[in-house]
Amino acid sequence: MLTIALSKGRLAEKAIGLLENAGYDCTAAKEESRKLILEDENAGLRFIMAKPADVPTYVEYGAADIGVVGKDTLLEEGRDLYEVADLGFGKCRMCVAGPVDLKDGKLDLIPNKRIATKYPNITRSYFEGVKKESVEIIKLNGSIELAPLIGLADCIVDIVESGRTLKENGLDVIETVADISARVVVNRVSMKMKSSEIKPMIEKIKEQVALL
Amino acid sequence: MNNNKYYTADGFTDTLPGICAFKKQTESNIRELFRLHGYKEIETPGIEYLDIYSKPGFVPEENLYKMTDQKGRLLALRYDGTIPAVRYAAGIKDFDASLLPLRLSYIENMYRFADSGGGKQSEFTQAGVELMGAEGSDADAEVIALAIKSALGAGIKDLQIAIGQVRLYDGIVKQLGLDENTKDTIRKAINSRDTVTIEKTCDNLGISSEGRELLLMLPDAQGTYDIIDAFRSRVTDPSATEALDNLKEILDNLDEQGFLKYVSVDAGLIGGSIDYYTGVVFKGFTYEVGFPIVSGGRYDNTVAVFGRQMECVGFSLSLTLTLTALLRQGVSMEDKSPDVIVGYAPGFRSQAFALVESLREEGLAAILDTTGMDSAALDEYSSKSGIDKCVYVEEES
Repeated sequence: MLTIALSKGRLAEKAIGLLENAGYDCTAAKEESRKLILEDENAGLRFIMAKPADVPTYVEYGAADIGVVGKDTLLEEGRDLYEVADLGFGKCRMCVAGPVDLKDGKLDLIPNKRIATKYPNITRSYFEGVKKESVEIIKLNGSIELAPLIGLADCIVDIVESGRTLKENGLDVIETVADISARVVVNRVSMKMKSSEIKPMIEKIKEQVALL
Repeated sequence: MNNNKYYTADGFTDTLPGICAFKKQTESNIRELFRLHGYKEIETPGIEYLDIYSKPGFVPEENLYKMTDQKGRLLALRYDGTIPAVRYAAGIKDFDASLLPLRLSYIENMYRFADSGGGKQSEFTQAGVELMGAEGSDADAEVIALAIKSALGAGIKDLQIAIGQVRLYDGIVKQLGLDENTKDTIRKAINSRDTVTIEKTCDNLGISSEGRELLLMLPDAQGTYDIIDAFRSRVTDPSATEALDNLKEILDNLDEQGFLKYVSVDAGLIGGSIDYYTGVVFKGFTYEVGFPIVSGGRYDNTVAVFGRQMECVGFSLSLTLTLTALLRQGVSMEDKSPDVIVGYAPGFRSQAFALVESLREEGLAAILDTTGMDSAALDEYSSKSGIDKCVYVEEES
């Protein structure tokens, strides 16, 4: 029996679709219900529906063998996991964004900038590790775009898909921190102890991704 | 401030009767196993100067429990068994190199700040050995074999030990002429089995297709002799070749001891977060616990940091994780009641003493009642508390 942790929402639906195409019976996972654990004895699969940010935790502890989760969550959570496949969907970018007049290197001129974000760890490692500067990070939980607009922060670090929300609020992407997409993660012990089930699954998933 | 007097601190927990008894018995078994292999147990202080841990690559400093002494010097709670043993070995005054190797063992509690939100224990027990002043595959295999025996002796049935070699990767890096940055990026990717990053890095740097294939083999290759052979035909750097020789000799050695069935080569094991490993590295796994229960490897340059050259190899077994695994695998660790309770009528205390002592000599756990229960009360108490037998000493009628 393999336990698979899925990020509730769009990512889960796409992951289930991909697993079905790969030849796994996911009837249980598609059941319309509020159940959090969806099990199919015959298929040997058990799905758990978790909040995206919690998927790496379930997998790191071995409560789930496999997880499907966005690279943004993986970067932010920094868990000790095997990251075995890029599913290619859920694509977006992690970006530094701010008022348009900060583009073309002007952001770098602000010393000790204040940055609002949902992703304090990614922000810190980008500014300290890549840009080599100290910054003040303000953790917010949503509508991050507000922060530079009302003077809470100089800029933001956030996920950007189309960039429309930014544009409508007079903001723009200044720098790209990382490319994001859905990833398959595996617990380190499961990879060893259940390799006869997990390895073929990873291979089949990769085959499907190559077809996309 | 909350009133915390009823609670254990974050990351710390009680080991309850039953589980504690099982744990202490396991510790005794392992202690005896170590002794039978010629390892001498040491106790190092629970508190050390922070300095011993604050060398690059030893431990992440933010995970140390730190405090100061009365002079304001920085101290740290014992983080692992290896570094204190290394400090001790480097400082032995009447050191005689002709008496090497040194075989040391420990069973101690370790203290690490785990991630707060989790349930990762900040205090846990490790049993381990350090074989110090010994080079070569046979020394490596001795320690790996002892790790296997310890885990099996603790009751782990489904055990898998994965063996890798730090120098295999080092050699491949040299062969491909990769710079330090790239080496680091790919090392991290191999550690998380992240083939996507390896492929991207190869594309960006224009690494040859043979090089790319070789790097991609690392996170993927698991087996035994077949893996060693697969790399053998592709590597040219001497340190990689020596690493493969080392792995082969370890497998041969373990095979002779009948342990090959527990062991596989995992080419992607190349040191990970601890930087001081210089040769073989290994991890042990079982079902029902998401973290490795065994961890170890060769560290030839660590004692030198403390001023004495000594090639070493060691392992630690997490007793805490082992017990978690055994409990989840359904091993019973019930809280056993004493075997006998002895009560006595007024005036018969000395006879009761004699009886209870003779029972203890037979190996039975015997309680002498201190509350003055009469025969009927004693009967009721013993059946209620699960004590098999009760004896009431009184005048024969």
